[in-house]
Amino acid sequence: MIAIEILRTERATKKFGDLTALDAVDVTLDKGVILGMIGPNGSGKTTLFNVISGIYTPASGEVRYKGQKITKKKPHFICRIGIARTFQVVQPFSQMTVLENVVVSALYGKGLGLKDAREKGEEVLEFVGLKEKIHSLPDNMTTPDRRRLELARALATEPEVILLDETMAGLTPAEIEEVLGLLRDVNKRGITIFMVEHIMRAVMTLCERIIVLNYGRKIAEGTPEEVAENKEVIKAYLGDRYV
Amino acid sequence: MVVLLAIVPIDISGYWLRLITFIFMWIGLAGSINLITGYTGYLDFGHVAFFGIGAYVTGIVMLKLGIPFFPAMFIGAVISGIMAVVVGIPTMRLKGAYFAIAMLVFAEGMKQVALVLEGITGGGNGLSLPIYTNYTFFYYCMFGAVLLTVGTTYWFERSKFGFALMAIREGELAAEVSGVNTFYCKLVAFGISAFVAGIIGGIYAYWMTFLYPGDAFNVLTTVHMIVMAFFGGAGTLLGPIIGASLLAIIEELLWAEFRYTYLIIVGFIVVIVVLYIPRGIVGLVREKVLAK
Amino acid sequence: MFAQVLLDGVLMGGIYASFAVGFSLIFGVLRIINIVHGEFIMIGAFITYWLYKICGIDPFLTIPAAFILLFVFGFLLQRYVINRIIEAPEIMSLLLTFGLSLIIANIALLAWKGDYRLVNPEYAGANFNFATFTIPYVRLATFIFALVAVAGLQLFLQRTDIGRAIRATSQSKDGARLQGVSPAPIYAITFGLGAAVTGVAGSLLSMSFSVFPAMGGDYLLFSFFIVVVGGMGHIPGGLAGGFILGILQSLITNYVSAGLTYVVMFCILYFVLIFRPAGIFGKGIVE
Repeated sequence: MIAIEILRTERATKKFGDLTALDAVDVTLDKGVILGMIGPNGSGKTTLFNVISGIYTPASGEVRYKGQKITKKKPHFICRIGIARTFQVVQPFSQMTVLENVVVSALYGKGLGLKDAREKGEEVLEFVGLKEKIHSLPDNMTTPDRRRLELARALATEPEVILLDETMAGLTPAEIEEVLGLLRDVNKRGITIFMVEHIMRAVMTLCERIIVLNYGRKIAEGTPEEVAENKEVIKAYLGDRYV
Repeated sequence: MVVLLAIVPIDISGYWLRLITFIFMWIGLAGSINLITGYTGYLDFGHVAFFGIGAYVTGIVMLKLGIPFFPAMFIGAVISGIMAVVVGIPTMRLKGAYFAIAMLVFAEGMKQVALVLEGITGGGNGLSLPIYTNYTFFYYCMFGAVLLTVGTTYWFERSKFGFALMAIREGELAAEVSGVNTFYCKLVAFGISAFVAGIIGGIYAYWMTFLYPGDAFNVLTTVHMIVMAFFGGAGTLLGPIIGASLLAIIEELLWAEFRYTYLIIVGFIVVIVVLYIPRGIVGLVREKVLAK
Repeated sequence: MFAQVLLDGVLMGGIYASFAVGFSLIFGVLRIINIVHGEFIMIGAFITYWLYKICGIDPFLTIPAAFILLFVFGFLLQRYVINRIIEAPEIMSLLLTFGLSLIIANIALLAWKGDYRLVNPEYAGANFNFATFTIPYVRLATFIFALVAVAGLQLFLQRTDIGRAIRATSQSKDGARLQGVSPAPIYAITFGLGAAVTGVAGSLLSMSFSVFPAMGGDYLLFSFFIVVVGGMGHIPGGLAGGFILGILQSLITNYVSAGLTYVVMFCILYFVLIFRPAGIFGKGIVE
């Protein structure tokens, strides 16, 4: 299989005052892969996602999607062209039902009409396993269900790439297994997944490739096995004594 | 209900005609602020500015250019809408509280503009519109305004656009990332809400015949609109209707006798709504119904 | 003559700053826009008025009374009313303080009627003349007191334990909690402190301007202008903002027309909010 590049960041750099959150980070995402991103807290993972999804404008560097520059585009534009995103801290529309939450994405992320959007919403919610809860309010749901909702919202935009930010944080091992299965199904549909995760087991089993960030810089990249043995990575997480 | 209201003025006294026309006006105004504040969550503390602009533009255009009422009213409303977009572009980037007070300052500024441009607006001496005292006509005009407001709100509730607004209200960043062009949608909602307020302002101007800056740009008008919308239930269709009707009636009963007491009561209503019934009367009813 | 106009502006500016810093402090720590702020000024002014009128106390000596009474009032108001919605969206606290301001201002109106009152002890008209400048004694004295109040607040925040606790809470509520600082009492104290300083400002204002129940409104808008221009939550910025407003107003009133003050204020506010929302020093809280 020939690797076709779908998303790329070129020397993406982001500063907040004196703090350099991202330092010339290069990431290449090929179509259909599952790429993991790990790194200690504060290493810039979410910042990179924010740069890609248009929430931040990088101080320098570019973001390319299918070869086109999308660096300074607004988040809604980036969503519409096929890059969806979930947040670490789930932000559902609390006064709207689960179905309505997803319909917004289908209406605006995909551009469907009301009727089609509702159908799409129901289909996506069934896919993630929330069929029974479509008329519930998000605040009344459990954490794993809210994560499913977040994923459903992203899927309803019919993305080609999904940026997942710590989808599995705080889940039990059984719940993690379910989510892993779900993500494999998502990937089987042809969607490229770029995920940030702290749960090592998930990252190692699911991802074909992993990149590692530390202090805003990419310090390693490779298969899960390569990364696990990488001295820089071990140093970043555990300190010098364990290398 | 609608038909009933349409037939009513044929046989009632001047007092009731005037009262109901006023109630219609408040329903329209509360509804207009509901379009922006209830549906996007942006609290517009200067909404009276659009009412006043509509009023003054209507008056000036009728007086100085001899344009008849309906086109004049329409022009006034369009200009209100445009002003909202112009003001909205910079101010809507701000966080809620900043937006609220920036709008308040805007409204006060508009009042001063009206005072200062004496040549056009008559300044402190007021503006005198062509006289027309067919009060039944104004009843129907305000009734039409109510239909406009309610119709627009209904459209917000049911349309694709309405989904975008509610998403913005519930989580602007999440909405943006879901594909909603929040900047554009906010401005459109703002412009529409200002247009509606402008229409009502135009009717008011012709109805009252005399306009004064302090009257057209009275911050108390904004206060009323906000309280009515929230008391009834912001972000709902029936909320402004219920809130405006109730409050207008309370005001009518108390205003003459207990001026200041009335405002104290309004203040208490606001405090009670915020602390105990943030979703207003409509919200309260919904909760009772859902609980069953 | 220009220098005089400028001087008048500076003197007013100091006083303006004194009533804006309380507003800034409350926002900086509690993150709420306190609409009752105007009423704090009004109450401070009335405290001075009544103590002077009924007890014959010299206005300057009433300042401590204004401070203490308003501190208690602010503290209690926050502790029992405002604190209930401290976690709710901003729009709610805005509406709440707005409702409270309606209640307070109108109760005052009911109790004291809308007449304009003046605090005018015998020395009220006396002026201080040097070179070509004329400065009313009262204006000069209130200016000095205003600066003392602002400086006092700043020192309190920088040097005392409670002040440090307040600053910690404003920067990070959770961080402060981890250090053993509980937010709820800090919120109440801060609100009380903000109210107290504002009350003192009201007291000072009463000596130069009319006192009436509805006076809060204009000063609230001025405060907002000052803290946005100076930087929300930043006390020294509030001082700068006060001077800017004072000078601006003096210039406009003298050279153009008093009526245009709001228009100019709005335009400047507009530009600051778009291009420099963190205020002239860039230290204001924006999020």
